[in-house]
Amino acid sequence: MTASPRALRSGRVLAGLALVLFVGICAILAPLIAPHDPAEQNLLAILLPPAWALDGSPVFPLGTDSLGRCVLSRLIYGARTAMSVAIVASVGAMLLGSILAHVCGYFGGALDWVVGRAVDVWMSFPPVILSLILMVGLGTGLDKMILAIILVDWTRFCRVLRSEVLVVTQRDYVTAARLLGFTHWQTITREILPATLPLLITLLSLEMGIAVVVEAILSFVGMGVKPEQAAWGQMIADARQYVYQSPWNLLLPMLAIILAVSGFNLLGDGLRRVLDVRLAELGR
Amino acid sequence: MLAPVLSLLGRRLLAAIPILLIVSALLFCVLRVLPVDPAAMSLPPGATTAEVEAQRREMGLERPLAVQYLIWLQHAVHGEFGRSIHYRRDAGTLVAETLPATVELAVMAMAIAGMLGLCGGLLLFRLRGTSVETVGDLVSMLLLSIPEFLWGLILLFLFGVVLHLLPFTGRLSPGFMRPSITGFLLLDTLLARRSDMLCDALAHMALPAVALGLAFSPTLMRVLRSSLFDVYAEDFITQARLRGISETRILLGHALKNAALPTLTLAGVQFGFLFGGTLLVEIIYSYPGMGNLMVDAVRNADLPIIQAVGLAYCVMVLLINTAVDSLYLVLNPKLRVR
Repeated sequence: MTASPRALRSGRVLAGLALVLFVGICAILAPLIAPHDPAEQNLLAILLPPAWALDGSPVFPLGTDSLGRCVLSRLIYGARTAMSVAIVASVGAMLLGSILAHVCGYFGGALDWVVGRAVDVWMSFPPVILSLILMVGLGTGLDKMILAIILVDWTRFCRVLRSEVLVVTQRDYVTAARLLGFTHWQTITREILPATLPLLITLLSLEMGIAVVVEAILSFVGMGVKPEQAAWGQMIADARQYVYQSPWNLLLPMLAIILAVSGFNLLGDGLRRVLDVRLAELGR
Repeated sequence: MLAPVLSLLGRRLLAAIPILLIVSALLFCVLRVLPVDPAAMSLPPGATTAEVEAQRREMGLERPLAVQYLIWLQHAVHGEFGRSIHYRRDAGTLVAETLPATVELAVMAMAIAGMLGLCGGLLLFRLRGTSVETVGDLVSMLLLSIPEFLWGLILLFLFGVVLHLLPFTGRLSPGFMRPSITGFLLLDTLLARRSDMLCDALAHMALPAVALGLAFSPTLMRVLRSSLFDVYAEDFITQARLRGISETRILLGHALKNAALPTLTLAGVQFGFLFGGTLLVEIIYSYPGMGNLMVDAVRNADLPIIQAVGLAYCVMVLLINTAVDSLYLVLNPKLRVR
């Protein structure tokens, strides 16, 4: 890969990677670095401010929420929820969307028509509404949320990649490969996929940012993870009711979301520039 | 100029019918796999099994799914979406009551997003080649990372809680009796010539509309900037420079018109998403629109409402896309040639 050293020299890619790695390491090492159990309640110490404030306590570095749970630990465990959704849901949506895009763009025909109409139908639904409705049907929980995001966001990959596959399929080297006796499968995996891969990687990185936001939104509305699991959106929903008493509880999870999403966006934008992919249209 | 627009509208409306049919069928199927029994939910908790059975038969729940859907469709075409289980009122009426509030919010937010996108895009482009360019770029990137519900909370916190500048719940201050002429609050206050009430309503809408507008402007900014770059590579810009036209006039009078078209295409998709974004902003600001109705319905598993609201969102997105496409046709002379 000639792209990897070039990618590592780009400031955006490095900054994005640093942010994503920071959140990722917090997520992986959560049981080791979190000072408390995220579900542990301490009703004698509710709504404490962070340790640097006047009546803060060093036991709870970032204070406590309305049930006396440690905010720092909940933030760290929330990173776990956010990152697992970001990675599993995005990869799932990428697999579904890009497989359909490659098959449809390469073969065309009836399947292409059906998938194209399905994308139209999906696009006529605001993603937030569609994922809410799916969560009603599926029920709450981390796995259900991941499934809902996959079922909503596969179109983002399918739409953009399909037009790219259409362009690549017309190239002479693809015809040459067919003439050399490559099977359809070989042509797609060896000739077309390498050409669409840069776009795919960029889209994947941006989709991870989107997945973090969707996870936060669903948890905020109360249709995300189970109540006992820590999630940033849930922390925001909880802190919103006590915003006058402890504004920090609202600001910190918001900051965490912005940090994670801007990491993925910087990474995606940097990769797009480095890999020089023309993203004609890019949904949010 | 009217004929192609009308034919586009006709074609779009025809294409919308199958989409709406499929969406309604999908909605129907997703909501029927729910582990809740609509019959048991519509009866008081003490109902006997026999009563629940009778209710099931009355609601047609023992028939095949396809038949149930056709019955529902037949009613829906007549504007009957069933009675809300929770509110015990007609779901269609509830949607009709909340839709105007959401539409007003969305239109206001689109205007703000469009304005910010235009100014921001021009500014970002003007900064090209200067040392501030990277700063502008990073700021737009950071803005892109803040979704509408975070903007909603940030603005609520800043202007509502810390500065006490703007109201942040509901649509009107208590004490105002809203006139009901069209259902659209801003229009009604105008028609009733109540400027005090109009100001109050606008103050209540300011934070939610700005939050939504801010969330959707960075994409427009960035696309406008990159299409301006494309336009500046064209010969007619060089020629305009040779004719001695000032840079500002080239940018605003020549380049902007051409760069606006790709931005408009994207705006169509973005505004569809924006309409969905109203849901979160409505919840944050307790704004009485379709979003709050939807989330209440979701929490209560109120199927008739979820179906009706879901369909209403879908219709609005299709309408927005059609409107933007028609505008595109009006603005792009190339497409008008037969």
